[in-house]
Amino acid sequence: MARPAHPHAMQPPRPGRTRTAPPLLPDQFPFQGRYRAYTLFDLTGAVYLALGFVVLRAVWALGNGPEAWQALCASFASPLWIAFHAISLLSVCFVAVRFFRLFPKAQPPRIGPAKPPPRPVIHAALYAVWIGVTLVFAAILGGGLFG
Amino acid sequence: MKHLLLRLEPLVWLLFGNGILIGTILLTGWLLVVGLAAPLGLVPESALAFERAQRLAAHPIGRLLLLALIALPLWKGAHHLRSLSIDFGGASRDPAVASLLYGLALLGSALGVLAVIRL
Repeated sequence: MARPAHPHAMQPPRPGRTRTAPPLLPDQFPFQGRYRAYTLFDLTGAVYLALGFVVLRAVWALGNGPEAWQALCASFASPLWIAFHAISLLSVCFVAVRFFRLFPKAQPPRIGPAKPPPRPVIHAALYAVWIGVTLVFAAILGGGLFG
Repeated sequence: MKHLLLRLEPLVWLLFGNGILIGTILLTGWLLVVGLAAPLGLVPESALAFERAQRLAAHPIGRLLLLALIALPLWKGAHHLRSLSIDFGGASRDPAVASLLYGLALLGSALGVLAVIRL
């Protein structure tokens, strides 16, 4: 059974000339069926917002000197931080998989005189860039490159 | 406020879109090494030793990447949480929620610029 949506959801700034039915929330919103992935995709925003501040904290510690940096690295070894980073990694991979699937569909049919490549090519290129950059970046951070 | 938010929409979408694409691509390597492999002892301790980390981070490309790692996820997060707030609570409180979330992202981005300058 459909439930009534919030009365102000998607409300236009001025009433239109066309009469419309009151908005109804879909049955499966927010955590059932295809709405589960939609809501989870939006919820990853909380993880990304937190991650931005975590990286800021790390860079700030690096600027404060060796003691602050060592203290930060030591704190990251606590089970809570490891759990947070594991959940964050899952969220980031979920965003990548979902966004890379959507991205080719969102391309315009023409960009000036050129047509974009076929969707499977764009999809494969996104995965290639993601995996390639991750490997290089991880190798640099892990000491395998520019040691 | 509503008018200002609408005017800022293209800029917010630029940062949000790049937060999803570039932020996601960069965060994966960061989380694998700094968040998990180093704390679990899977990479040598010397990899994230202060001198090496400082040298890599202070390089112009390093500063740019770190700024992207700070600012872009903040804008992606702020915009998605705003969208979630509209879905669950309607548009009436949107100006307040959007101002709070974008304000946080702006503050974090400004501090990010400061953090990479002082490296």
